[in-house]
Amino acid sequence: MSKPKVAFFDFASCEGCQLQIANLEEEILDLIQLVDVVSFREVMKEHAETYDIAFIEGSVMRPMDEERIKEIRKHAKILVALGACATIGGVNKIRNQWDVENVKKDVYGDAKIKGNKYFDVFPTKSVDEVVKVDFYIHGCPINRDEFKKVVVSLIMGKTPEIPTYPVCVECKKNENVCLFEQGKFCLGPITRAGCNAICPTNGSPCDGCRGILDKPQVECVQEVLDRYNLTYEDMKNRCIIYNYTKEEC
Amino acid sequence: MKSISEEDLNCFIDALIQDETYEVHGVQSKGKRFVFAPLETAEHLRLEYDVTILPPKKYFLPQYENLMDFNLSQDFSVSPQKVDKPLILIGVHPYDIIALQQTDKVYLDDQKDDFYQKRRKNTLIIGVDIQNVSEHSFAGSLGTHYVDSGFDLMLTNIGKKYVITIGSKKGEKLVQRYAKVKDATDAEVKEIEKIRINTLNKFKKKVQVTDAAGWSSLLVSNYENSIWEEQSSKCMECSSCTMVCPTCFCYDVKDDVSLNMRDGSRIRTWDGCLLKDFTKVGSGEVFREDLKDRFRHRFFRKGNYLTERYGFIACVGCGRCSIACLPNIASPCDIINELSKSGGKGKRDTFFIKQKNKTDEKGIIHVPRRAIIKKIQKLTEWETLFTLEFEDKKPLGHKPGQFVELSIFGVGEAPFGISSPPSDDPQFDVVVRKVGNLTSKLFTLKKEDSVGIRGPLGNGFDMKEFKGKHIIFVSGGTGMIPMRSLIEYCLDKKNRDKFKYIKILYGAKRPCDVLFQDKIATWEKCDSVTCKLTVDTCQDGECWVGSVGLVTALFPKLEVDRIDPKNTKAVVIGPPVMFKFVIKCLQTIGIDDKDIYVSLERRMKCGVGKCGHCQINGVYCCKEGPVFNYAEIKNLPEAFE
Amino acid sequence: MSKDVSVNVHHVTRVEGHGNIVLDVKSGDIKEIQWQVPEAPRFFEAMLRGRHYDDLRPITSRICGICSIGHSLASLKATEDALDVSISDQSHILRRLAINGENMQSHILHIGYLVAPDLFGVGSVFPLVGSKHQDALLKIVQLHRLSNEMSDMICGRTTHPIRLVVGGFSMVPTEKQLREMKQRLTDAIQPTQDVATAVLSVADKLPDFSRETEYIGLSADNEYAFYDGYINSTDTGAFKDYKNYTDVMKEYIVSQSTAKYAKHHRKSYMVGALARYNLNSKQLHPLAKDVAKMFGLKPVCYNPYMNTIAQIVEFVHNIEDSILQIDALLDTTIKDEKPVKVNKRSGTGVGIVEVPRGILVHEYVIKNELCTKANCIIPTNQNHANIQHDMEELVPQILDKSEKEIELTLEMLVRAYDPCISCSTHYLTVTFE
Repeated sequence: MSKPKVAFFDFASCEGCQLQIANLEEEILDLIQLVDVVSFREVMKEHAETYDIAFIEGSVMRPMDEERIKEIRKHAKILVALGACATIGGVNKIRNQWDVENVKKDVYGDAKIKGNKYFDVFPTKSVDEVVKVDFYIHGCPINRDEFKKVVVSLIMGKTPEIPTYPVCVECKKNENVCLFEQGKFCLGPITRAGCNAICPTNGSPCDGCRGILDKPQVECVQEVLDRYNLTYEDMKNRCIIYNYTKEEC
Repeated sequence: MKSISEEDLNCFIDALIQDETYEVHGVQSKGKRFVFAPLETAEHLRLEYDVTILPPKKYFLPQYENLMDFNLSQDFSVSPQKVDKPLILIGVHPYDIIALQQTDKVYLDDQKDDFYQKRRKNTLIIGVDIQNVSEHSFAGSLGTHYVDSGFDLMLTNIGKKYVITIGSKKGEKLVQRYAKVKDATDAEVKEIEKIRINTLNKFKKKVQVTDAAGWSSLLVSNYENSIWEEQSSKCMECSSCTMVCPTCFCYDVKDDVSLNMRDGSRIRTWDGCLLKDFTKVGSGEVFREDLKDRFRHRFFRKGNYLTERYGFIACVGCGRCSIACLPNIASPCDIINELSKSGGKGKRDTFFIKQKNKTDEKGIIHVPRRAIIKKIQKLTEWETLFTLEFEDKKPLGHKPGQFVELSIFGVGEAPFGISSPPSDDPQFDVVVRKVGNLTSKLFTLKKEDSVGIRGPLGNGFDMKEFKGKHIIFVSGGTGMIPMRSLIEYCLDKKNRDKFKYIKILYGAKRPCDVLFQDKIATWEKCDSVTCKLTVDTCQDGECWVGSVGLVTALFPKLEVDRIDPKNTKAVVIGPPVMFKFVIKCLQTIGIDDKDIYVSLERRMKCGVGKCGHCQINGVYCCKEGPVFNYAEIKNLPEAFE
Repeated sequence: MSKDVSVNVHHVTRVEGHGNIVLDVKSGDIKEIQWQVPEAPRFFEAMLRGRHYDDLRPITSRICGICSIGHSLASLKATEDALDVSISDQSHILRRLAINGENMQSHILHIGYLVAPDLFGVGSVFPLVGSKHQDALLKIVQLHRLSNEMSDMICGRTTHPIRLVVGGFSMVPTEKQLREMKQRLTDAIQPTQDVATAVLSVADKLPDFSRETEYIGLSADNEYAFYDGYINSTDTGAFKDYKNYTDVMKEYIVSQSTAKYAKHHRKSYMVGALARYNLNSKQLHPLAKDVAKMFGLKPVCYNPYMNTIAQIVEFVHNIEDSILQIDALLDTTIKDEKPVKVNKRSGTGVGIVEVPRGILVHEYVIKNELCTKANCIIPTNQNHANIQHDMEELVPQILDKSEKEIELTLEMLVRAYDPCISCSTHYLTVTFE
């Protein structure tokens, strides 16, 4: 079996998810035995035009980015969204609360940016709002173990298993003192697990970077909010960091 | 009994920590809560704690437990995980000791779990009588606030001293070797009783029904109570309640492969019946999808299913679930008290049937045996037959209706019905439909490749019951896979005269989906055998001589007048939707429910009645089934509804 | 000499973020030299509007994956400055360890994964596997792992730290972890020196190019500054009025870039490891000084390519410093402290730290616990103009080389700055209500 060709691409992001590949340390050597990395601008000069698996980091913000990702989709047999910016839009969507002109004016003031294609932005889109995404590796940043699992699964021809249950499951297994008990507002109960509850385990509440569960039990959330003297507005506000949507979150 | 000063107790514990042959863990603080954790010094021990976040089950059924390592660069290389150094666990409360004794019933008495057993044997328990009571605990009313056995040593705090109750030889030796103790005086021994009464008075929360039979019958009479719907509407489906429960023991098993594609391991991890995917099978079907049903299931396990099976309330009143549950709806105490107020609403009576066969063989739990693929034969577009043989060429030794768990290391394990009849031949058949990861991988394997097999598992057909009877076999779709084992057994020359007339009804989706066409052709030729086939749809141009329509449409074609219903047995195997209709047809022609047998499909993961995924109310489909007598199972609410 | 040269490097590789080099020479005449930054702007300043002060750290951490700890610390310093929070000595030491861990991680990544391939004549580190340089590569990986694991231990996670919170730490490492880490750091000194030796053997591949410029960074009275200090310049000396940092770091907008440019009293200045070295070399720990000597590095060094060498020197310094910091923690035994309580609800604060690529500033205005204004000066922004001017001076000197060589030399120049372009495209300057 010839090695699958793998390419990494980045859009609007901090490139922290690609950094997690470098952070595989010694295992990166196993990775390059396993796959043929043909494009990875952050660490290599070479670049190829065809690939079996494309990993996409970052959100889509400009017509020029949209064009580029459609091109990548055409060349990729499998397209994987890598990290929150790509999977759900992540922090890049915080600005979608306001329309583009408002944001631009705030940021660039009177500077002349009209007609400059680099600044031609539209409201932030996750990758699947532009092209078909085959698999998702959630998180901000991604969890290295999950990345490895997905790669191994794809090579073995398995469908990668992404948890459908909330962060609480992993948090309980880690025997953490519940963040709610510590007076903090944690999004763990409605956030997709797979991070091994890393934030609560380190004493910080979950911000929801892996995305809200497919069918969160929204009715019962009110019950919990009341119990901890929180409001629905508080929750919406917490959700903005990673999960801003125009509709109710 | 001995007594020891607080100071000398600390010296005793520090001496244990110094002893390198042991790993010493004890109760310590974590923020405002408590946990069992490695003990560095006796000073960190907090014996006055109320309750720990997780129960000590994490030492015997760890959150993530490596069951075995495998090496994918070799054809079949597996090595079970070794269990670590002996452990001393200090500060276990009585209710947690009772919870462990309950888990022993499941993991030691019924089909021993090697890993659990080794860890249990390897651990010394130094218990402590409760000093402070958690506001959520109702152990007092359940009588689980004290315990007379199940520990190696039990400490009871009496002022500045502790009384040590010796519970085992091992415990006694530890005391002799490391502790500066005196014999306890009569007054000190009497103090224990006083302390326990004192503790009992500290419990603010009390459950109104305190006996196992009481819980069980209360739940039975409230199966359809609206409380399940009301309470579950507040449930977040996080399963925190089961994670922190000392008596919950369901698990999932997953394979992990490292990036070098060589080293892998099979990991057992806690699973929870409140989670949506808990009952999901490879084909995508979810057997307990409704949150209300999942919510109720947990309480029924605590107070009815396990209670009927083992005789105890599978709740020790620790209150951990209430602490963990954000909407505060998890407490069995609250539910039982609420139900006892309301009386019975919506009684259902059968949730449990007694297990018939007891298997206690090697090669059934966890580590599979190596089997070699001897033949691969494509049967239809979707189904392929694999003929397997153990490397030691020992026959499988199965009964019709039993199944095996088939493993491919790195991908996982799934149950498959055995399709070949019982025989002394070392080869046996499974037929596989391509639906998920494991089956897709299996389809890429070749002759002489290896797979792992655990089994035979489950309850097969008791052929004695069919002796001298007419038999009607009704199968739909893949139900024909295990049915073939049974049919061929009956038609075998050695056995044929034991049975009377045989009628085979079989429905498939399309003509090209009909399994075992060549076999069916030979069956039809046998004496006193009728075969009737039907397909749901037949496209133009497809060659098909049988009927078109559902399998129930074949019943009018049976020569009903030639059936002697009192002397007929019927077997039904097929997709979940089929049973109700077929059984109705059978009843119409006068066949009694007790003469009908069914084989059910659920998520049979462990195959030995532990992991919990295949439960139909109180029944483990993998152990009491998959073959059931219809009369016994028909009233199980989750069986056919 | 009259020839045509056309270099168009669309997205320089092995740098963080998207940058282009455009060079157009017609008959020996330089028509165009341009360092372009087309990275998508991400509008972080808008994102912070109305966010609670506790959210500023986690959001600004996401400006950059490589220096997320640096952004986190600058953010916390600014917030704590605004709300008059003073953290404990223990938190202070832990934050210095955090900065050491990140500096080590970022430097070794740059030296080993981004620059070394040029020196060894390959396109990426991957071909080094199985080559005669494999041993050096494995040591680099080992040091990279150590750096990350030190950050994991202090911050809970190396990329986008978790434990860094307003007022201190949400969780602290155990004494056992600190002891183990100290041992590992001690054991890492030898492999670090081996990597330095390996780089020394190919250091002649670094172009010999100098251009006098200004160097700006933090300095402190008694240590090689990273976490605390005052703004310092090789041209103008100490500038202690930190709240008026914009008097030194004057940013402006150019059309070829979504990132801002900056200048002080010359047309450009440089920040980063070389700037710090040029300003503070006397305060390096002993082994770091030895490594500097080994490469013949002396202040003031005006060769931007030597930035990579200054990073190696700092890597050694960070190891030595971390060992000392851990000793200080172990001397007083580490306590499970809660973060300091915040009592003020409004204020304006500035936080300045040295991050791997140079001096970083965050400034916030907080009203009733919510952010109303933010400003952020990114190291790479401060370097863009210097890169442009270096190119303009460098190109005429190398025009006799082949087009390919010119391209490589220019790419190596950009890489030497270790630009962090994701960071640099986040303008954070505008008032909002």
